[in-house]
Amino acid sequence: MMRVMLHLGAQVLLLGLLAPLLPGLITKVKAWVAGRRGPPVLQLYYDLARLWQKSVVLSSAASPGHIAGIAVAWVATLGAALLLPLGPWASPVGFRGDAILFVYLLALARFCTTLAALETASAFEGMGAAREVSFAVLTEAAVMAGLLALGLQSASLSLSVMLLPAAGPATALLVLGLFIVLLCENCRVPFDDPNTHLELTMIHEAMVLDHSGPPLAAILHGAALKLLLFSLLLVQIVLPAGASSPALALAVLAGAVLVLTLLVGLTEALIARLAFNRVPLFLTTGFLLCLFALFVAWKAGRP
Amino acid sequence: MISGLLLVSAGCGLAALAVAKGAPRLWLGVVLAGLAGVLAAAVLVLASGAVWEWRSSWVLGGEGMHLRLDALSAFFAALLTVVGGAASIYGGSYWSEARHPRSAAVGRCWWSVLLGSLTVVLLQANGLHFLIAWELFTLAAYFLITLDRQAGEVRRAGWLYLAASHVGTLCLFAFFALLAARMGGWDLGPMRDHPELAPLFWLALVGFGIKSGMFPLHVWLPSAHANAPSHVSAILSGVTLKIGIYALVRFSGWLPVPEAAAWTLAGGGVVSAVLGVAFALGQHDLKRLLAYHSVENIGIILIGFGFALVASAHGHPAWGQLVMAGSLLHVWNHGLFKALLFLGAGSVLHATGTRQMSRLGGLWRAMPWTTGCFVLGAAAISGLPPLNGLVSEWLIFLGLFDAAAAHAPASWVALAAAILLGVTGALALACFVKVCGVVFFGLPRTAAAAQAHESGWAMRGPMLALGAGCLAIGLLPVLFYGPVAAATAAWNPALASAFAPTPLLALGAWHLMLAALLLLAGVALWDKVRRNGLRRALTWDCGYTAPTPRMQYTGGSFAGIITGWFAWILCPAHHGRAPEGPFPGQASDAVHVPETVLEKWIGPLASGVMFLAANVRQLQQGRVQAYLFYLVVGILLVLVVAFAGGAP
Repeated sequence: MMRVMLHLGAQVLLLGLLAPLLPGLITKVKAWVAGRRGPPVLQLYYDLARLWQKSVVLSSAASPGHIAGIAVAWVATLGAALLLPLGPWASPVGFRGDAILFVYLLALARFCTTLAALETASAFEGMGAAREVSFAVLTEAAVMAGLLALGLQSASLSLSVMLLPAAGPATALLVLGLFIVLLCENCRVPFDDPNTHLELTMIHEAMVLDHSGPPLAAILHGAALKLLLFSLLLVQIVLPAGASSPALALAVLAGAVLVLTLLVGLTEALIARLAFNRVPLFLTTGFLLCLFALFVAWKAGRP
Repeated sequence: MISGLLLVSAGCGLAALAVAKGAPRLWLGVVLAGLAGVLAAAVLVLASGAVWEWRSSWVLGGEGMHLRLDALSAFFAALLTVVGGAASIYGGSYWSEARHPRSAAVGRCWWSVLLGSLTVVLLQANGLHFLIAWELFTLAAYFLITLDRQAGEVRRAGWLYLAASHVGTLCLFAFFALLAARMGGWDLGPMRDHPELAPLFWLALVGFGIKSGMFPLHVWLPSAHANAPSHVSAILSGVTLKIGIYALVRFSGWLPVPEAAAWTLAGGGVVSAVLGVAFALGQHDLKRLLAYHSVENIGIILIGFGFALVASAHGHPAWGQLVMAGSLLHVWNHGLFKALLFLGAGSVLHATGTRQMSRLGGLWRAMPWTTGCFVLGAAAISGLPPLNGLVSEWLIFLGLFDAAAAHAPASWVALAAAILLGVTGALALACFVKVCGVVFFGLPRTAAAAQAHESGWAMRGPMLALGAGCLAIGLLPVLFYGPVAAATAAWNPALASAFAPTPLLALGAWHLMLAALLLLAGVALWDKVRRNGLRRALTWDCGYTAPTPRMQYTGGSFAGIITGWFAWILCPAHHGRAPEGPFPGQASDAVHVPETVLEKWIGPLASGVMFLAANVRQLQQGRVQAYLFYLVVGILLVLVVAFAGGAP
């Protein structure tokens, strides 16, 4: 019991402290490609610290659930992150079938953020929320297919076991499909532009227009955590864990997440945004890639 | 003991009929006492696993009474009593003497008949009496749906319900009559050793499928559930749909089932789940939307049940019991949260007088309790942790995955079903974000919504109780696994092997931990916000100076992206005028989703039947010459048959 608590505490601290690094790195890469110097890598940490001290301006239409919902969404994202193994360390709270809980924890976060957006009675936030829940239908299909493929490869539906073995025959398809999901779920280009200034075209940023102070800090931190969580998932699909010494495995894991982050940054810098009516098509491509991966895994596992 | 309890309940049922006319409070007490008796009997059976059976020499319609309460009946009876009790209390003040002087007393009468006949259906072990009780409950439901029959819409909904139900009953007449003819008696019980009975299950599938509202047999359901008084809607979708499921489960346990029927049920379940929620997304009427979600959830139940049938046909108890347990638990879960949502919708209707979501908004200020309960129900029906919807869907997911991993026959179907179940969850989430956001949050769109009021304790209490039920199953799923396992074993003893629910225990622990953390985080963030200082200001609307509530995003626009994907089946109709000219004057746009299945498929089919019937009627027009002609033709035909082929 004590060990489990220690492990959980360490994982929360590690993930929570490292998460805000990723958006900073992505911004840095984008600035670097564009030939600018860009804000410091630790900018999000400064932002979070400042927001945490600020007072709150709350929409006069919003209920207390507007703020409680943000806390729920943050806890749900953190819970999903706790289900992931970290290299050789299996999740201490994992169990058979936790992959399903993982998907639904992310859904809980989405339920709360979109509902909080609708609470403000703003049409922009309604638009953002509508896009978020609609595109999530396709990403959830892709994630479900991807997780089932992993499950069939490892004959288990527990994330710690599913991510343990080395890459199976379906990995290339799966990684590509889930990379598209990562970009969409974390509102990166080509689905959403975190730096855009036009409310009409935003998804995630449009939903948080009316948040401020500590709730906004929780939202930003939760978004960074979600990015880290998807990166870890994607990286551990490729990397076999447990083969080497723990320190080496952790270093490899961190390096791989770094590489993935740079890749996201390069994608953002080099690709233009998609028109909204193209987004479902691209997401369907991601889903089909995961579906083919599932098909390969199913064929490979047949006696 | 059980006999005594049920006898007391029967007495209460008769007493309820007697006092329904004049004494509402006494009636409520008697009804609750009767339900408590049934609940106690059901709990006893579920806990002990014993089967209670009672045969009597008392004859009705030439058949001796034969009642039987096993774990499967008890499982559904428990749901009936809980939802029935909550809805009875709610109905007492929702459809009170003061508000509905013409129909309140009649409503109580039919309500007693409905609850009584549903209980009898669950207890019956005689085909003839089963049919009688089935018909009685159909009629009672019809009169309850049309309680407010001044409105034409209500009458039409009631008529559609009656017609559809009787198409089903016709199939059941054929089913029970053929069964009785083959078996030489009306007594029901296990008859798996008669493989020649298998084709009969198709009749049962259609008959009970209509009652359970599976796609595309659901055409009567949306309008009936939308137009019935809300406490009636709650019991119709919470319990009577499940009686259709009960009958399917019951007879598939007793009769041999053709494998094609099992696949039909599983496939129908997938189609119901996805299309049910797609249609729900297109609705503007709060209760009609909830009714379409019943189609979706019946689909989820049928996915589990269909795969359980496949599993038992091929001898795969391991994952068979997982999908069956998920399916049965979803029966309870859906009963609880759908009744909760319908009661919530009733409170909204009661407070504002409208079911149109585009006229509501911002109700949380006036109705905090209702809002809280409704959002809880919405989270539960979307399958979110730490509530009950996830527990049953998780069991089904686990079973489907094991089916695929075991490379059982056609296991790719299980994979497809799992993915589509996930998609259904995401669609349901989108739909309930829309409902909660548009109805309860934001700003009131009309004066009626602004002047809403919270409902009284007699209406809040049942909602809180049902919400507590959702929370209890979510947080302590292991406690509720016992009854589910008992019912599964009663359905098919082959699936009875002791499944040690360790993953379920882990899920329950997770839910408990999550609930505690959510509470903690919510309180902590609120506290931090209060200490930092909180100021209210207008929502930022791009610097627009005169925002009005009409500028809010509507339900139609919110669901627009997804309904666009399903336009091939929803066939949304646009009305309105596009802006014209360089200085456009008035312009408008409205979208509504028709009852595509009813209007495009069932409607033409029905007119075809009517056309045929009208033509057949030409034969009978009262002219003696024509009848003589028929006679001559008939005799000639007989002669031809006798001489040409029939004679040896």
